[in-house]
Amino acid sequence: MKQLFAPFANMSRKVIYLLVIGQLLVALMLWHNLSHGLIPKPIKIAENFFALLPTKVFWDNILVSLVLTLKAMAISILVTLFFAYLSVVPFFSGLAKFLVKCRYLTLTGLIFVFTLLTQDGSQLKLSLLVFGIVPFFVTSFLSVITSIKNQEYDLCKTLRYNRWQTLYEVIIIGKADQVLEIIRQNFAISWLMITMVEGLSMSEGGIGTLLIKYNKYNDLGNVLAIQLSIFLLGLFFDFLLGFLKKWLFPYTKLQTQ
Amino acid sequence: MVVPLHKTSNTIAMMEYRKEEILLKAEKINLFFGEKQVLRDIDLCIKNIVRPGVTQGQVVSLLGRSGIGKTQLFRILSGLQKPTSGTVTGIDNKPIMQGDMGVVFQNYYLFEWRTIRQSLELAAKKNPQLKPTDIKDQIDQQAQLFNLTEHLNKYPQQLSGGQRQRASIIQQLLNGSNFLLLDEPFSGLDVIMLEKVVELLLKVSLSDELKTLILVSHDIETSVALADTTFILAQEDGKPGATIIKEVDLCERELAWEKDVKNKKEFANTVQEIKALL
Repeated sequence: MKQLFAPFANMSRKVIYLLVIGQLLVALMLWHNLSHGLIPKPIKIAENFFALLPTKVFWDNILVSLVLTLKAMAISILVTLFFAYLSVVPFFSGLAKFLVKCRYLTLTGLIFVFTLLTQDGSQLKLSLLVFGIVPFFVTSFLSVITSIKNQEYDLCKTLRYNRWQTLYEVIIIGKADQVLEIIRQNFAISWLMITMVEGLSMSEGGIGTLLIKYNKYNDLGNVLAIQLSIFLLGLFFDFLLGFLKKWLFPYTKLQTQ
Repeated sequence: MVVPLHKTSNTIAMMEYRKEEILLKAEKINLFFGEKQVLRDIDLCIKNIVRPGVTQGQVVSLLGRSGIGKTQLFRILSGLQKPTSGTVTGIDNKPIMQGDMGVVFQNYYLFEWRTIRQSLELAAKKNPQLKPTDIKDQIDQQAQLFNLTEHLNKYPQQLSGGQRQRASIIQQLLNGSNFLLLDEPFSGLDVIMLEKVVELLLKVSLSDELKTLILVSHDIETSVALADTTFILAQEDGKPGATIIKEVDLCERELAWEKDVKNKKEFANTVQEIKALL
């Protein structure tokens, strides 16, 4: 018992799981007993969640959001990799650093500009998402590049690699696992943004549109049920990307053992 | 061209040698970090040692106290770092460029994302003397020689320190350079491992006439026992930066290439002499 509160104490996986389940149950019980009035109880949210699950509307909207997110992620990764890999080339380094600073720009202020630049709602949503995600991806990937030890470059020099071969071996191949890790860490950001951009063009639907609709009618039970599904989907993708990373790059599994 | 021809009454064949062409020469090397002088007027010369009837490479040790600038000199000799002034040249007076020398770093750095076989293949592909069709055989041969056959498909994280060191050495050998610079190769090894590493380095030095090992170390006894020449890097009183204060010709003292050299009185005297200089 004492070990549970000792810093750096090693716990078995079973104990950790039991602890998390226990804490979750306590939190749900507290929520159940303390909430009254506007905030629905967990049971009500669960009821709404299970009522939403078999509906076509729910899955259609989830699918719209997922396709949009995955499209945006794919484009963002390509843009990020292009600028991040070339950030070691002096001509592009300034541009990459500028992209990093772009994360301080708010999307709301740029909606009108993007509306003028794009042809329809679908393009608008996609371009806003990409513009929102790329600075975060580039920031993460540049920090990976700057943390590369000089010895990695030195080893390439001793093996007679030229600069482009060094870039290929150390950054493109050597840090490929980090790309998946960055996607995993930043997936939450894109998932967060999707609900916002979907509100801008509601004709295509999406989980964000659904949320706005339920919010409008103060249907808090369904709002929280959708939040729960967003949360669970996020956890699923987190697990999936983690699994993919270990499968594609087995050495990363060794590093964490 | 022939320099000294040494003979002793009881070990005539063993100690017969001559020093021939220059393999590596560092002249007037100075290194500054800002205002601070790290290395001053370093001059050193490594010649090809020829022993009749023996394929004998060179083993040179560079000794100095921790923090004196050994690693900086090591980087300059390997072409990884440019000195503030001075030159490092190889055979036929050609300037040493990065990649001309094999380098084994102190922590035996390897590409963590490659299996050992993949790393060795990458190194071998850069060796102009190796035909692509011979690469696999060469890797298998070297792996067998260095007891790494069963670890070829593992990642570096799965190897012990000793195995990583051996993999690093093979990687640099397959890359084809005659020079092998090793930064602190004896650091952190237990007695058994130390013996194995010494044995391994001897094996490498005997593999080719022009094979030259440069050991940068602060382990005086092991380095002197293994080397044919020792350079001592230290600071001179009142002068900034470290320089080579003495070159000890261990062949001349009949302390080179002897298995039980540590039992000799002259060896103990030499070690004491070096310790006093550091």
